[in-house]
Amino acid sequence: MPHHTTRREVLRKLGLGAAALPFIWNLPSLGFAGQQTRKKRLVIMFSPNGVVPPAFWPDAEGPLTEFKKSLEPLEPFRKQTLIAHGICDKVRGDGDNHMRGIGCLLTGVELLPGNIQGGSHTPAGWANGISIDQEIANHLQKNESTRTRFGSLEFGVLVPNRADTWTRMVYAAANKPLAPISNPYQMFNRLYGQIKDRESLRSVMDDLQDEIRTLSLHVSAEDKQLLVEHATFVRQMEQELRTADAAPTHAVPQIEQGVKEDNDEMPRITKLQIELMVNAFRGDFARVATLQLTNSVGQARMRWLDIHESHHELSHNPDSDKTSMEKLTRINRWYCEQLAYLAKKLAETPEPGGGGSLLDNTTIVWTNELGKGSSHTLDDIPFVMVGGGLDFKMGRSLRMKGVPHNRLLLSLAHAMGHDIKSFGNPDYCGAGALSGLT
Amino acid sequence: MLHRTAKHRIQSHARLGLAVGLCLVATVCLVAGEKPLKPVATETVVTKTGDTKPVTKDATAKPKGGLEIYRQECASCHGLAGEGTTNYYPHLLVGDRSQGQLAAFIASSMPDDAPGTCTGEDAKTVSAYIYDAFYSKEARVRNKPARVELSRLTVNQYVNCVADLAVGFPAVKINFGRRIQDDGGPRQAEHKHGLHARYLTKTRVKDRVNDGGSEERVDATVDFDFGSDSPIPGKIVPDEYTIRWRGSLFAPETGDYDIILDTSNGARLFVNEMQRPFIDAGVRSGSRSQRRESIRLLGGRWYPLRIEFNKGKKEKGQIALKWKPPQRADEVIPARCLSTDDSPEVFVLQTPFPPDDRSTGYERGTSISKAWEQAATDAAIEVAGYVTTHYRQLPGLADEKLGRDSKTREFCGNFVRQAFRRPLTDREKEVYIEHRFTTSPDLDTAVRRVVMMTLKSPRFLYIEPRGDSFDAAARLSLALWDSVPDRLLQEAAAAGRLVTRDQIEKQCRRMLNDPRTKAKLHLFFLQWLKVETAPDLTKDPTAFQAFDASMAADLRTSLELFVDDVAWSDSSDFRQLILADYTYMNGRLAGYYQQTLSGGTQQSRSEFQKVTFEPQERAGILSHPYLMAAFAHSAATSPIHRGVFIARGVLGLALRPPPMAIAPLSPDLQPSLTTRQRVELQTQPDACQSCHATINPLGFALEKFDASGRLRKEEKGHTINATGSYVTRDGSKVKFTGAHDLARFLAESGEVHEAFVEQLFQYIVKEPVRAYGRQALAKLTHSFAEKQYNMNELIIEIAAMAAK
Repeated sequence: MPHHTTRREVLRKLGLGAAALPFIWNLPSLGFAGQQTRKKRLVIMFSPNGVVPPAFWPDAEGPLTEFKKSLEPLEPFRKQTLIAHGICDKVRGDGDNHMRGIGCLLTGVELLPGNIQGGSHTPAGWANGISIDQEIANHLQKNESTRTRFGSLEFGVLVPNRADTWTRMVYAAANKPLAPISNPYQMFNRLYGQIKDRESLRSVMDDLQDEIRTLSLHVSAEDKQLLVEHATFVRQMEQELRTADAAPTHAVPQIEQGVKEDNDEMPRITKLQIELMVNAFRGDFARVATLQLTNSVGQARMRWLDIHESHHELSHNPDSDKTSMEKLTRINRWYCEQLAYLAKKLAETPEPGGGGSLLDNTTIVWTNELGKGSSHTLDDIPFVMVGGGLDFKMGRSLRMKGVPHNRLLLSLAHAMGHDIKSFGNPDYCGAGALSGLT
Repeated sequence: MLHRTAKHRIQSHARLGLAVGLCLVATVCLVAGEKPLKPVATETVVTKTGDTKPVTKDATAKPKGGLEIYRQECASCHGLAGEGTTNYYPHLLVGDRSQGQLAAFIASSMPDDAPGTCTGEDAKTVSAYIYDAFYSKEARVRNKPARVELSRLTVNQYVNCVADLAVGFPAVKINFGRRIQDDGGPRQAEHKHGLHARYLTKTRVKDRVNDGGSEERVDATVDFDFGSDSPIPGKIVPDEYTIRWRGSLFAPETGDYDIILDTSNGARLFVNEMQRPFIDAGVRSGSRSQRRESIRLLGGRWYPLRIEFNKGKKEKGQIALKWKPPQRADEVIPARCLSTDDSPEVFVLQTPFPPDDRSTGYERGTSISKAWEQAATDAAIEVAGYVTTHYRQLPGLADEKLGRDSKTREFCGNFVRQAFRRPLTDREKEVYIEHRFTTSPDLDTAVRRVVMMTLKSPRFLYIEPRGDSFDAAARLSLALWDSVPDRLLQEAAAAGRLVTRDQIEKQCRRMLNDPRTKAKLHLFFLQWLKVETAPDLTKDPTAFQAFDASMAADLRTSLELFVDDVAWSDSSDFRQLILADYTYMNGRLAGYYQQTLSGGTQQSRSEFQKVTFEPQERAGILSHPYLMAAFAHSAATSPIHRGVFIARGVLGLALRPPPMAIAPLSPDLQPSLTTRQRVELQTQPDACQSCHATINPLGFALEKFDASGRLRKEEKGHTINATGSYVTRDGSKVKFTGAHDLARFLAESGEVHEAFVEQLFQYIVKEPVRAYGRQALAKLTHSFAEKQYNMNELIIEIAAMAAK
């Protein structure tokens, strides 16, 4: 029951008591924290099962002149795109490559030994450290000028309802994976539930005051005092609700109703999640977000592309299987379309209280647990970045020489104003953040 | 005139009590240095709450007490009780000056015709009298005649009401495909303590997992270390297997529980919500893990529980299900709190409320604050959210069903009726339901608004005295369950079957066996015995080496098992609480208190069993080691703490707080004195004796129990002197030696019975007993005696009185 869980989670996660709820109600004051400095945002988008390298990576280093088939949807954002080839997940240890691929992707650290047995290698448990998005979000939450209502938001699309190493990318700490919210309505409630509640509450206030008056007529003079006091507090609450309503905030978005969590609804769910994310940024509910499309070994069947095999199944086929390669390319192209849709939405939304668009202040990092599905390689992990949030020099294709991905994670932290010296396994952080991004 | 005199007699009677009380303070504050006075008799006087209480009284008259001065100097204008006189001062003598300000005012301006004649000590003494007798706010509250006041639900009542309103969905009561009896909870006769367990072998043929042999049984607790062996040799193959435990978990009291899943393997634990794991350790990560999560549980309720355990290849099988109840230590969840039966999910409100007023000794909902109003709002939103996400599980309310709209309205009607504890008027139907539906954009929003408005409505929040059958049903359910009436009570009220005393009593008997009643009485005992706030039981580690936090937690369990055992035994005899020659102990306690358990090596035994003492050695709660340790210092005993508990808690005396905070004499400064001698020395002054003459000899009778509650024969080379005494309300002096002797006196004392009846009444009904008539307390105490001090019968009497 998503709502029930939200109740417990929200109350506990925010450490909320009665005294704190009105604090949430005053979304605007909290929501628009630190308008004086530029807001920087980071989105990490994940899709699974590797890519088809020849249909993905640009041929050469240098200015981006054209995109390969998989990345064509990014054409409108060519000048704001940075493609980094040659970044490798060097983390080894327990678990198969799919498990380590997603579990070490944002944590840069080994998986703990455990009981989850993959198709090969040793069994493993959860990652032994925090993920970079949470590391950055925690840093932002520490400082009043960058603190937001949620810190970070974890969106999912059709992430299976089971907690195991393949379905979790984000970690609050070692052994503490965070589940993404795959249900857009659950996410909507998390973002706007209180505003809806406030509306409902206001709608019953007048009649409630009448009820207290009616009851007062029937009780003794001594008992009436209690009701008089009660009525005063109810009136105060109504006034507070009015004040809260009058405060400036963005309108609660109208979202498409009745979309089910079902394979064939994947395009609509993704669209809904992206729209909610953009709205959350507009309200400055968070500066860090992840969007996890399915999971490592994701099994999406993209029937809407006339592809009837599951994604993972296809990804095992050899390079010589041209039909499969063509389908995999289309699958990755579809994921890229989602990236482009997110970029488009961000570009269309003006930055509240600042110049430019949301995209000017947001960088989306699109990544994957594998370099290539059939080989299960952790080398040349896809990292495609779009947008101006991290002040990287965009419009380029980079070719690196097998650098550990921990160094890219460090770069993300530094670009978000968090100057950590190492992240994850320090052995892979040797030369520090990547040079050549800015 | 005659009428007036009579009235004044009552009032002056009241004042006498107050004046005596006042003297105790005044002796210290104003006339320190006076010669010691010995209390020689007691007198029945009207105390704070207006009920008769014995108060020790100084036999020697004092020179000009406050009352005396008042009568001489003030009463001619202000009336004998500050009520005023028509000709001179036709106003009540009440106000907001402090006692000091009042004294200064009197010294400078009173009496009106001769200011300056009542000054110094006289002004102080008379102002103290006036202040305490009728002037101050406290005095005015105290002097007000008792009546049943309009009150709101207490926090505990609110939480229980919404829990019961939110499980009013029959569909939610289906768990594991099996229907549960109508009023919920695993209370069928055949239920067993422990959890139902299903063991299943996994066999692999070419990577395909097949189910091998299986075995079902009941496990009393979940605490296993199978290692590499089979959990059930011969039936289950040790290589790979799964175990599924299921059943229910009982929360004896309301609070935050830590639930701990300790396993070397993969396991998932479900508590209350069956759709989502409470602890998901399905992925083993690292070596053995102890996952701990906190959950708020309401006392007196069963919660569905399920564990899925998987032991994989090359792993060693190990799992333990533990918890840490509020203010306790970690322990394996005992079998008595587990049941093989299924239960429905319970809605447990998460919104915290500010605590209720308990200044009169019991919780009352007689005040409203902004924080409370905010909490009530947040809670209404929380419940509305829960109901909105669950109501569609009801038959006919799922999506796209024909007539969903009218069925939803019907559901809302039932919800509101249940919350208001009576049928709805046409106007209420219009305001609470129809109007919400016509003004809401969709059905879910309408339901949300109905629930919000209902829970914010004074019809739900206030207990209105209406005097009809629905009122009786509500009062019964609030008295026994702190909650709304169940279906059977509602039906009885609607059918006019809740009118006669017999009809009401019949319902009471049915309701008595509900775990909610048991939990309510359980909490009463915890409050009565001052345990609910978890006193610090840390003991001097050199003197009491083995006495640690686990021991303290075990002692509390022991005490609770004992009181529950007496309360719910067939005779439910109150006297056994005080007299019984047994308690409950586990191995750890038995080792420390040198008792023998039946069967097995006792130190390792974690489960509790009945332990019978040598006759004369111990007696019920009086010498229970928990209370002996709680009413003691860390190294030395405290006859004063023990005496105060007996005087106030058991005998119901209204002792004043000590006039000033005094640290006990350090044993180091008087190395040759026993505790008894030190206490006697320190409380020797007259100012102390007026109360301590009562307190000390009660506490001294328990001196044979050291600060950890162990029996002792001597202290510092002196044989323990456990003689004590008490002057009863009728003036006779009772002597006793040791706990058993004291217990025999207390168990048969009418004062003790009356004090117990009054405290239990106020706890259950949350109103002063005299609001139910001048004779109410006497009547209840009389029937208590007639029914051999049966506490179950007393609860029924009390609930029936509240409902009539």
